Amino acid sequence: MASDSDILVVLFLRGGCDGLNLLGPSSDPIYIAERRSETRVERDGDHKGLPIKNNFADSDFRFHFKAGKLKELYDAKHLAVIHACGLTNGTRSHFEAIDFMERGTPDNKTTTTGWLTRFSHEQKFKGMVPIISTSNSLPTSLLACPEAVAAPNVKRVTLQSGGHFKTIQEKLLNERYQGTDPIAINGLRTLAVADIFGKKIPLDAHGKQADYVPSAGVTYPTEGYTNELNNGLKALAQLIKMDIGVRIATVDYGGWDTHVDQEGRFANLTDALSRSLFAFWEDMKAYHDKMTVVVMSEFGRRLRSNESRGTDHGHGNMMMVLGSGVRGGEIYGQWPGLDNPHLDNQVDLAVTTDYRTVLSEVISTRFSKPMLNLVFPGFVYKPLGFMKA
Amino acid sequence: MHLTRRQFVFGSAVGLGALASPALARVPTSAPPAGKEIYLDPTFWTLNRIAYGPTPFEEESLRRMGLKHYLEQQLHPDNASDTLCNNKLSKAVLAIEYKASDPKSNEKATGSYPAVKEDRPLLALGSPLSDLWKLADYSVRIDNKERNRPTEEVRAATWIRAVYSQWQLREVMVEFWHNHFNVHAFSTAAISGTFPLYDGIMRKHCFGNFRAFLEDVAQSAAMQYYLNNNRSKASPANENYARELFELHTLGADHYYNDLYNRWREVPGAVKGHPIGYIDQDVYEAARAFTGWTIEDGSNTGKGTTFPKTGKFVYFDGWHDNYQKRVLGTEFDPNSPPMADGRKVLDLVSAHPGTAMYLCTKLCRRLVADTPPKSLVVKAAKTWQKNIKSEDQIKQVLRTIILSPEFAASQGKKVKRPFEFAASFLRATGADFAPNSGLFYEMSNAGYRQFEWATPTGHPDTSEYWLNSNTTLTCWNLLPKFFSDGFKVAQFDLAAHTPDNVRTSGDIINHWVRRLAGKQPDDTLFVALMQYMPNPKDPNFIPDIHHSDFKEPLQQMVMAIGMLPDFQVR
Repeated sequence: MASDSDILVVLFLRGGCDGLNLLGPSSDPIYIAERRSETRVERDGDHKGLPIKNNFADSDFRFHFKAGKLKELYDAKHLAVIHACGLTNGTRSHFEAIDFMERGTPDNKTTTTGWLTRFSHEQKFKGMVPIISTSNSLPTSLLACPEAVAAPNVKRVTLQSGGHFKTIQEKLLNERYQGTDPIAINGLRTLAVADIFGKKIPLDAHGKQADYVPSAGVTYPTEGYTNELNNGLKALAQLIKMDIGVRIATVDYGGWDTHVDQEGRFANLTDALSRSLFAFWEDMKAYHDKMTVVVMSEFGRRLRSNESRGTDHGHGNMMMVLGSGVRGGEIYGQWPGLDNPHLDNQVDLAVTTDYRTVLSEVISTRFSKPMLNLVFPGFVYKPLGFMKA
Repeated sequence: MHLTRRQFVFGSAVGLGALASPALARVPTSAPPAGKEIYLDPTFWTLNRIAYGPTPFEEESLRRMGLKHYLEQQLHPDNASDTLCNNKLSKAVLAIEYKASDPKSNEKATGSYPAVKEDRPLLALGSPLSDLWKLADYSVRIDNKERNRPTEEVRAATWIRAVYSQWQLREVMVEFWHNHFNVHAFSTAAISGTFPLYDGIMRKHCFGNFRAFLEDVAQSAAMQYYLNNNRSKASPANENYARELFELHTLGADHYYNDLYNRWREVPGAVKGHPIGYIDQDVYEAARAFTGWTIEDGSNTGKGTTFPKTGKFVYFDGWHDNYQKRVLGTEFDPNSPPMADGRKVLDLVSAHPGTAMYLCTKLCRRLVADTPPKSLVVKAAKTWQKNIKSEDQIKQVLRTIILSPEFAASQGKKVKRPFEFAASFLRATGADFAPNSGLFYEMSNAGYRQFEWATPTGHPDTSEYWLNSNTTLTCWNLLPKFFSDGFKVAQFDLAAHTPDNVRTSGDIINHWVRRLAGKQPDDTLFVALMQYMPNPKDPNFIPDIHHSDFKEPLQQMVMAIGMLPDFQVR
């Protein structure tokens, strides 16, 4: 059901997450033949993949052995997977793929706004800080969205200069950052954000800005490859709980470009993704009825692994959607198969579902009547049915 | 160093010249000027782009010599004469602290080390590969702070040079090339440990020939490890380096036609051996060409031999894919001599006209504007192609760009990145500066991840990335940190850096606005800044600038000027 306070979180796995290793057709003989065992979901041994129920394809799809918490969310029907989806453009470049995807116009890199920018402008969100990035800067999905705020560390979002001249300085800067040019708009927004956060950040008993404490019983993992993701998710949890009207948030998690020695790195990345996302979901219990998390990456990776025990840039991939509005516990889309003629350019998993289908379905079921033709111009959307109507 | 009022620029008495310059003389000495007209000084803005911001001394030099001669001097840097910078480098220290080794940790490694806590000079900077490579050996227990130390020292030296070197254009270009050939230094010790040598490649070739530059980068331990070519063997080869070679180092994504063409013959010009761009097939083939280019890292070759542990580049034929190839419509014979395949790829990509356009667009974007005038890019690309074999190819291109009317007409069009923001503030205020890890941390928070930008794109060079509240706020908050006692990065004596004849409140305001923002203040700005003065209504009042009571107002005013829109651009 659409609500007027829903929150959309877009978690981007940067570098090209190997969807065939995160949720792979473990029994497919082509999959087994083309991939070294270290780069696929296995059926036996210490690294045995985690089977899941699905009606998707007859290839025993299993989660990577480190994705236990993702399986838990899937089994609880909070999490849905859409496989063989992605960008329809043929690029194998990270930076082009990200550009196309985040602008939301797969054949046009010169679009001047991001898809989330257009979505948020079309929705006209109210509230103090409706759009958040937990990175140091804004992703391309928020291109030309001056009201969006990058807040990687909530406690740092206050203005520290001024001393005895604080009032004079505030007046001066507010006067000088007037106008319609991007520098003026950004400056004024920076001053406003510093002011809002200065008033809204909870204080401890000594009147100092308090460190974030997650909800009772929730522990974010601290070891392994977790920093970027944990910091982002924790910052976001804190911001949402500060009640400043967050409606859209982007979180980045990099490091997925596994050209060499994929086995250990991918396991660490997956472990952190699985446990951190689970912790965030638990931490956000009070907001479950209004929250949807989309997990995406710029492309999947080559079907055949290379001689340095890694995989090169590929095409089709999986996406995940987490939320109480999700018909979880199922894999959606259409499996194209891995036999040579059905591969994209005869090398990579084909894309049978445009990634915009997934995003369109999420926003059109959870937000009030978005004008999809503005968000994804020229795209014709047909629902897959992974969201509750 | 104690500065007298006369030595107001980096200890040089010549700096006085700025006072006598016509530009400053035109600034009214007491009454605020009328109207909102901004005084644009080409000297000021030129130094914001071919240097890390003006100092009174540099402004005077440039004004005296004229841009053409000044540029020639900058294009012929002479290390020996860079006295102040050399002194700062030789005296610089960077703290390092870690605990003694834990024999229980990492059982595969051998050896032990004691706890360390010291202020250490920049010793790794001049170290040979034979020493630096020891840091890359994970079979020996070495604290990660030691493995990262050489990169930390390059960071410190880069800051010192940006603030103090007289060869500013070289520093600007070295930063450009580091971003162009970006590696994430802390991703593995083979990179962080040898980073001074990688920096050396940027310095050696920053004004030189692109083809020669490309080969040194291709064979560096830093690039070999970062883009995994050191592990690329037949077959399938590892495509990481080959892909970024096309997309980021040479032709650029604008010349990538994968969405249009499935077969190489379909790319316009390909059949005649001059394709307009590249597709994935070129990447696959180039990846095959570079198989066997690797680093002697002590590992087993899988062919019955082991590489020595030297960190040196080596070609290993046992990993090379020796059969025929086709790259950019050009046939490669099978069984070519060692390295010939890879070198041929470098020849092809560096000579491609797409590379000239891509590189010149990037250079113009760095030096002129986010969207540089096409006319200028085309002119620069012509120079690039004409000098494709010249030793001073890049120099020639820089002349074309910097002496162009387009360069002269594009003042203040670029948003400063955090590094430029901080360096230009330190230069303009004559700070006594010594970088430390606290500064590196703040830069990273602001989004400027010096030598640790994770993806091979390097830092973005357009304002849409840098204009966000986190970057802006972190930069602004850096100013009070600079002036605080705890940060220990800079010491200021703003009073001593205010020239003798700048005495009235009005003059003090005009002087510092001119010095940081390159203009004279308009009425409202002048009146607003008067609020910092002891007698806000009287611009002719002469405050005791050296009195301790005036220290905070002057510092706060200078910080406020540093936060104005004018100081955010270059």
